[in-house]
Amino acid sequence: MRFIDLWRMSSSNLWKRKMRTILTVLGVVIGTASIVVMISLGLGLNKSMMKEIEENGGLTTITVYPDYSNDTQDDNTERQLTDELVETIGEIEHVDVVSPVLNINVVGRYGSYENTYMNVIGMTTDALSKMDIELKEGTVPQKDAGTLQFLYGNQVINEFYNSKGGGSYWETGEVPDIDLMNDTIFIVFDTEAYWNSKYDDGMSSENGTPVVPPKKYLVDTCGVVAGGPEDYGQYSWNVYCDIDELIKQLKKVFKNKAIPGQPTTTSGKPYKELYYSSIYVNVDNIDNVSDVQKSIVELGYQADSNMEWVQSQQRQFGYIQAVLGGIGAVSMLVAAISIANTMMMSIYERTKEIGIMKVLGCDLRNIQALFLMEAGFIGLIGGMAGIVLSYCISAIINAVVKQMGTQMQLSFIPIWLSGLAIGFAVLVGMAAGFFPSLRAMRLSPLAAIRND
Amino acid sequence: MSEEKGKAVIRVKDLYKIYRVGDSKVRALNGVDFSIYKGEFCAIVGTSGSGKSTLLNMLAGLEKPTKGEIIIAGEHMETKNENQLVKFRREHIGFIFQSFNLLGTMNALENVALPLTFQGMDRETRLARADKVLNLVNLKKHKKHKPNQMSGGQQQRVGVARALVVNPEIIFADEPTGNLDSNTSEEVMNLMKRVVREQKQTLVMVTHDNHLASFADRIFHIKDGKIIKIEDTREELKEQVNQ
Repeated sequence: MRFIDLWRMSSSNLWKRKMRTILTVLGVVIGTASIVVMISLGLGLNKSMMKEIEENGGLTTITVYPDYSNDTQDDNTERQLTDELVETIGEIEHVDVVSPVLNINVVGRYGSYENTYMNVIGMTTDALSKMDIELKEGTVPQKDAGTLQFLYGNQVINEFYNSKGGGSYWETGEVPDIDLMNDTIFIVFDTEAYWNSKYDDGMSSENGTPVVPPKKYLVDTCGVVAGGPEDYGQYSWNVYCDIDELIKQLKKVFKNKAIPGQPTTTSGKPYKELYYSSIYVNVDNIDNVSDVQKSIVELGYQADSNMEWVQSQQRQFGYIQAVLGGIGAVSMLVAAISIANTMMMSIYERTKEIGIMKVLGCDLRNIQALFLMEAGFIGLIGGMAGIVLSYCISAIINAVVKQMGTQMQLSFIPIWLSGLAIGFAVLVGMAAGFFPSLRAMRLSPLAAIRND
Repeated sequence: MSEEKGKAVIRVKDLYKIYRVGDSKVRALNGVDFSIYKGEFCAIVGTSGSGKSTLLNMLAGLEKPTKGEIIIAGEHMETKNENQLVKFRREHIGFIFQSFNLLGTMNALENVALPLTFQGMDRETRLARADKVLNLVNLKKHKKHKPNQMSGGQQQRVGVARALVVNPEIIFADEPTGNLDSNTSEEVMNLMKRVVREQKQTLVMVTHDNHLASFADRIFHIKDGKIIKIEDTREELKEQVNQ
């Protein structure tokens, strides 16, 4: 028999028994909808979590550090982060942005305000502009600006304290009266000298000469990160700048001395090269983060990302989904039983018809296929209607959740879930129809010619 | 009966069918031997319980014999499994039922085309062929009618058409007029006889009615599982003519 004829016969058989078909389909509709809605809750939670992570931290970011843990050599320069390594990482597949990161602590001053914990992060302007930092005002550090420019995090201002008394923001809750954008902020790069001069009691100098306070430099502000003093974000606490300008500036400040944080030779001399504190890597897609991370580790460096945490979170949501889906599956099981029952009834009713078909030479496989297709049809129609119903329920759930004031999308049905659910419904239908169809296949053709 | 002996389409050798009912054995067929030749119209006549239906079922491969051989169109039926039997019926055998057994969901045309559907023929070809056969059985006006819109005689004519449509080597008919009144029976019998003659088909009919059996070329009388007499109506005719 041709497939199209099987199709025609089985669908017309279902059509002939409309009421029963509709009732059986209804069971599948409810079964499918309950599974899909339950799973959609898990997916919604997962999606909300991912969105949250994306908002603070980014999932595609990998930070590379020198790996000291398995370094048996004394000479650790081999494992330092160099331009060469930056280039190598840039060549790894799926790496979107790569930038060296130079981290340095400076002291910021404005009038009597001082910020001794300013963390300056130098990165390439390219990377900075690709990080999509939301700004309150100004711009991110621009390429070829010619001078060093700072982009202040929105909470950096909290760390300025009035050296003439009045307490810090943490004690008073008062935001220091500084306009980071327009006021001139002076920066002291040589913090060691700064502390020495500040607490100089006359004894710290070895040969009697008083400690000269380090030079302060005026650094322009190019922008401020969006957000108030209480709005924490991943860019809140740092000051960003162009790494090239920063290096230029540091070389100027320290001349032949070692730049703080840089490794030195055993004799205390700095190396010719400048080593980076870390390397910022951005991967084009979340799915590739683990792979890229692995490749970097294989190079012999330490690489951190949010991936491990995310994966463990996802595993947890996976359990939740499985439990919820299992609850939904119970109603699908009931639906499957009702399909089997309907098919059984149908076969009893059509004993004669099946017998006639056998006498007339219908292949046994075709008879089985006929009933399998009927059961599959019930699954298909039920699955599709179930998906429609699921989208409706999902929309209602989300509307209710929204009314309660949460921004979270609790229920989320991706396309793949709909496709999978329909496929599953068809499969359940056919599985439920399998034994009835075997029975049909084995019915004796003699039943047909019995005259009753 | 020598000149009409062409090729034997059906050859039955020493056929037994024994049912076990409780502790006793019932011999439905008790050693049956005969041949049926191409183009013959044969009737198997007997009272109910004589074993005639059992014989027909076994010829059509619906029941397995206990012992003996059935050779149809050169193939042994007793050695085939169910799948092979179904295939054999599909390709070589037409069947006419007592209670017509048309499918209620299909109209006359589709019912006639059904065996062709099982052969995997495409819709257009099979409907065209069914159409031709329905013309042959004088049902031009009822092609689109469902079985419940037709009289018993008309339904059985659809049944005859359905048996003819695959152009089988043998047609089996099981009390084909059992559900019809005598006038209609006569009509259907004449139709069957005519069509079989025209199409050069071989027809084996089972009946309990001696009058209906007299339409056949040869009549096999069966009693208690044994063929007791084979009548050849053609020879009788010849004798009558000779006299």
